[in-house]
Amino acid sequence: MDMHKRIARSAGALLWVLTIGTIALAQQPFTPVAVDVNKRLVKLFGAGGFKGLPSYGTGILVSEKGDILTCNNHILSTSDLRVHLYDGRFYQARVIAREPELDLALVRIDSDVDFLPHYDLAKAAAQPLAEPGDWILAFSNQFKIATRDEPMSVQRGVIAAYAELRGRRGIFEAPFSGEVYFVDAIANNPGAAGGAIVNRRGELLGIIGRELKNTLSDTWINYAVPVQAKVEIQRDEKLTTIDVVTFVKEAIAGSYKQSEKRAKIDRGAYHGIILVPNAVAVTPPYVEEVIPDSPAAKAGLRPDDLIVYVDGELASSIKIFREIMKQYGPGTDVKLDVQRATRLVSVKLRLAEQPKVKAVP
Amino acid sequence: MKSLFAVLFVAVAAVPATAQNPPGVLKSESDRVAVIERIKPAVVAIFARGGGGGGTGVVISDDGYALTNFHVVNPTGPTPQCGLPDGILYDAVVVGIDKVGDVALIKLLPPKAGRKFPYVVLGDSDLVREGDWSIAMGNPFLLATDFTPTVTFGLVSGVHRYQYPAGLFLEYTDCIQIDTSINPGNSGGPLFNMKGELIGINGRGSFDKRGRVNSGVGYAISINQIKNFLGHLRAGLAADHASLGALVTTQTDAGGLGRMAITQILEESDVARRGLDYDDELISFAGRPISSVNHYRNVLGIYPRGWRVPLEYRRERTKKEVLVRLMGMQKKEFPGMQIDDSLPKPEPQPRPMPGDKPRLPLPGKGKGKAPGPKGPGAKLFEAKEGFANYYFNRLERDRLLAAFAKHGDFSGMAGDWSIDGFVRLKKLRTESKTRIDILEVKDGKSSRSLVKLNIDQFPYELEPFKQNQDPVALKMPETSGGLLSAMYLYHRLLTQGVKGFTEINHGGHEPFYPPPTDGKTPARVAARRVDAEVLNTRHGPFLTKWFFALTDQKLLGFEVRLQDNEDPCEVYLADYRPVEGRLLPRRMQVMYGDGHYGTFSLERFNLAK
Repeated sequence: MDMHKRIARSAGALLWVLTIGTIALAQQPFTPVAVDVNKRLVKLFGAGGFKGLPSYGTGILVSEKGDILTCNNHILSTSDLRVHLYDGRFYQARVIAREPELDLALVRIDSDVDFLPHYDLAKAAAQPLAEPGDWILAFSNQFKIATRDEPMSVQRGVIAAYAELRGRRGIFEAPFSGEVYFVDAIANNPGAAGGAIVNRRGELLGIIGRELKNTLSDTWINYAVPVQAKVEIQRDEKLTTIDVVTFVKEAIAGSYKQSEKRAKIDRGAYHGIILVPNAVAVTPPYVEEVIPDSPAAKAGLRPDDLIVYVDGELASSIKIFREIMKQYGPGTDVKLDVQRATRLVSVKLRLAEQPKVKAVP
Repeated sequence: MKSLFAVLFVAVAAVPATAQNPPGVLKSESDRVAVIERIKPAVVAIFARGGGGGGTGVVISDDGYALTNFHVVNPTGPTPQCGLPDGILYDAVVVGIDKVGDVALIKLLPPKAGRKFPYVVLGDSDLVREGDWSIAMGNPFLLATDFTPTVTFGLVSGVHRYQYPAGLFLEYTDCIQIDTSINPGNSGGPLFNMKGELIGINGRGSFDKRGRVNSGVGYAISINQIKNFLGHLRAGLAADHASLGALVTTQTDAGGLGRMAITQILEESDVARRGLDYDDELISFAGRPISSVNHYRNVLGIYPRGWRVPLEYRRERTKKEVLVRLMGMQKKEFPGMQIDDSLPKPEPQPRPMPGDKPRLPLPGKGKGKAPGPKGPGAKLFEAKEGFANYYFNRLERDRLLAAFAKHGDFSGMAGDWSIDGFVRLKKLRTESKTRIDILEVKDGKSSRSLVKLNIDQFPYELEPFKQNQDPVALKMPETSGGLLSAMYLYHRLLTQGVKGFTEINHGGHEPFYPPPTDGKTPARVAARRVDAEVLNTRHGPFLTKWFFALTDQKLLGFEVRLQDNEDPCEVYLADYRPVEGRLLPRRMQVMYGDGHYGTFSLERFNLAK
């Protein structure tokens, strides 16, 4: 009986704690979190200041010795890169490594510093991904509002989606392709790139990306690269997968080898479709001829088919169709939606290596 | 065992309920709704007469005074119209403006005299912290045709922010940065904390490439800055902001830390007269530590011209605190004193949020003429150079003088005065007998004023309006900075009031720093501060600033000078006692520059009719 009472009491206490907890959460200020996160971020000042390119940015401390993870953007293209810490100290810094495919770079303070508050990236990446609807706080030095010991700006929002950010050349160029967090906070302002998206406890979820505008819909997109992000890169003529943690670890160790110029985008692959002549500016992609035994022939594509969608993306002209197709490598599957007479037909192509051109004797 | 199960059951049943409808969330939601309901009636939709343009405001007193942005009322002219959520369109008049700070005070006119308006209370914006919640209200895109404000809710993104001015005006110093959505039309509207207290006036945002809509970065002028100017605004002034008269820059030492150093200084500035020099290190300003140029600008920017604030500096190993008079910005802007940070200038110029269509020109740019006064508010409007609305200056001045007269009516005692007592001069350290005479000497048909001061048989004499007089005489005795002139003017204010001066205007509110009466020096200058109402007068060559207690309008003291940018003779009055039914000070301390001239004990007043 005694024990029952004790359990009853502690169960009551538990309930009470839960209730108080939710009240506190409902309208609690984020001041303590903001103070804590701010210490782990830096203000960066470098190249820019023309053509709408800001000369300032944000970075995340990832080691106590002053290693900083930031966006691989134009501000790093200078020999005079400066870092302001949360307490007003400021230093010169230099770029240690860049990875264009992650759109990230590692920068190091060029002085002997120690015991800096920082994020343990491996620990952050070991956490499960945040989910749509989760609360987030965004921290950055957008608009260069802060200098020296002034704190970063904090904004609040939720994760709107975890989805692929797909860049299409000429239509909607994105500096990163892969799964990202889309957020409803207007976080991706000038100078925000390299800032932090954290949860309401201040734990690092992602790195704020660049300013990004969809030129088709004329809308601005707010996204962050998750700390768990990984991309396929080409290095030593091989495809390798690299994630944020490995990049940072190898960059700090001085062993990171940057990816080679991305072959993926421009390589294209063999499909065997011959289109009508590209006569006017916006020629619709009508199939003129299908090469026998080609992937297109195997998929059952026919002359006079009008290609409408490539993998769900509208291909309104021959030019756009070619741009889209450039991004697929051999061996990938592509779904084409074509208009055949009055019907819409879906076909699937497995792209192949470009056939070797035989030397003309 | 049964009870255990019961408890577990309750716990299990309660958890999903909590997860779906957390009582805390519901509670905070209903609290928020209640706060909004309470404060909403005081939010004003401001329009130019006959529509077009506009913004938002908020009522801060039951007699209809409301705050908004200067850039909202600039295009509406002096008599805008204001809608409250009660659905009624009120006439209004602009009372005071602060162009640099982008603030205006307007007054809504009650349809029936004496009708009270709903209003909000002013909070303390120094208590606002990054990460706090906030509520903004206003009329974005001029949506509300029934004057019901739009409510937005968000986070405080930063405090003590500095935003560069647009030209000379609209400099946002020490402001509050919010992600609470504000858009064109929100300008001039209130920002509240979660208790429903007014913590700021929303006025601008950073837009850059995204067009003139909310980009998650808005700024509100902090209410504590506005409080410093409120006395000026109520007095119908076109208030000016302060400058120090020195250039302060960051110098970096080897350890990565900056030091704030004076790198230029204007000779005519008070800060130079107080002994500061090149390369002195600025440690704190107005009680706040200074570690960056933005900090410095934040502190400087919240004060009106003419205020005195403490400043602490270091020269080599010694720290010193001085009280500095701030210079103005608008008329005496000095070229080459643009304060420069070692960083490049900001590219995204944050812009003020205009009202909705038409796009408003910035003040000083373009010649879009604002309409003149019209409607019922026109009766409460009087144009005068240097004032936003002189009608309200007279109103405040006359109220102040009426309250001051309650301490004693001297209008019937305009004859000769003599005052006997003792003085302890700083340089003598002993008490001397003294007598002050303020006389009108008949000289045939005309008469002339004469002031005499005797200290231990040592006579001083001044005829304030003698022809071809050396101005040095007006500053007798030399180490007092002009005590004889001061006594002449004191007599004049008491006996003649408004009639005695060529100009006599209300000067808003200023801090006043009476010296300690116990002879001890307090550790900090700030401990001496008393807030006062000010009258500015001009009579002949004498510019006088009179300080009255905010609580009962007792005269605390005054300062006499012959021109701007020189040390005045400071007179501090205390220990008031009744003399034939009128209150007069028994204690008078006189200071000049950095020195203390003497302390008078005024024992006997002889006032002739």
